Amino acid sequence: MDSKFRLLDKRGGFFYVGVMAETATPQIQPGIVQTTEDKPKSGLEPGYLVICWNDPVNFMDYVTHVFQTVFGWPRKKAEFHMLQVHEQGKSVLARESLEKAEHYVHQLQKYTLHATMERDE
Amino acid sequence: MKLVRATNSRLVFEMGHREQRSLPQILKLYPCVPPAHHVFSKSDRLPDREGNQQLLDEAMAEQRAENKKQVQALLTDPRKFEHTEAGARLSLSLAEVEWLMQVLNDIRVGSWVILGSPDQKPAELTSANAAHFLAMEMAGYFQMQLLEALGGET
Repeated sequence: MDSKFRLLDKRGGFFYVGVMAETATPQIQPGIVQTTEDKPKSGLEPGYLVICWNDPVNFMDYVTHVFQTVFGWPRKKAEFHMLQVHEQGKSVLARESLEKAEHYVHQLQKYTLHATMERDE
Repeated sequence: MKLVRATNSRLVFEMGHREQRSLPQILKLYPCVPPAHHVFSKSDRLPDREGNQQLLDEAMAEQRAENKKQVQALLTDPRKFEHTEAGARLSLSLAEVEWLMQVLNDIRVGSWVILGSPDQKPAELTSANAAHFLAMEMAGYFQMQLLEALGGET
């Protein structure tokens, strides 16, 4: 039993030490224009942010998996946001209409992630 | 618990006797996260914040009830746990694996909340916190096995 606990410790989560073998530094290739993740702000339509907050209990791999599942992101992008949550305390995952943002918050909370919706000021 | 067979739609896990005994015990703890844990927004600048919070509360309550039924169904379905010499084989569809991870994470996070949402491992295990700590760690253990098995699929 003890060995299982130690094994878990290595994988991140409650007593995590980094679980990712590599950082998710965005790769920029020649000829490809990198765009931001969020849609451009519109003066007409208020935007709502879907934010995921850090906590010491959710496994890093689990958070990455949830981001992939809920947003359909590739693993690299999901890892980038997971690391942002882990290192900066939060990550803005999406800027959406009220309905879509609400949908995402519900989905993330179903996975017991600490996600909220905030108005984009 | 280890993955022994994977197809496009199903994963089959082999479990030892201890795991076979402990997984149902852990799953019986569901739901663990207190309803008040789900907060829709941190700011009060949203239109109809209370209404949105209520919608979230209702959605979570509905999910809890549905999950509880499914947990019960899983534990009583003889086709799910096939007894073997080593323990048991658990056969799950990919959707069931995804669902089971949500359930296990609820138990993990809920146990952590009950422990007082600590940043670090409790310095000392007592009769008051040992069961919750064990539940948190065991739920995390099974969760990681499922996650690793899905790793090849995603």
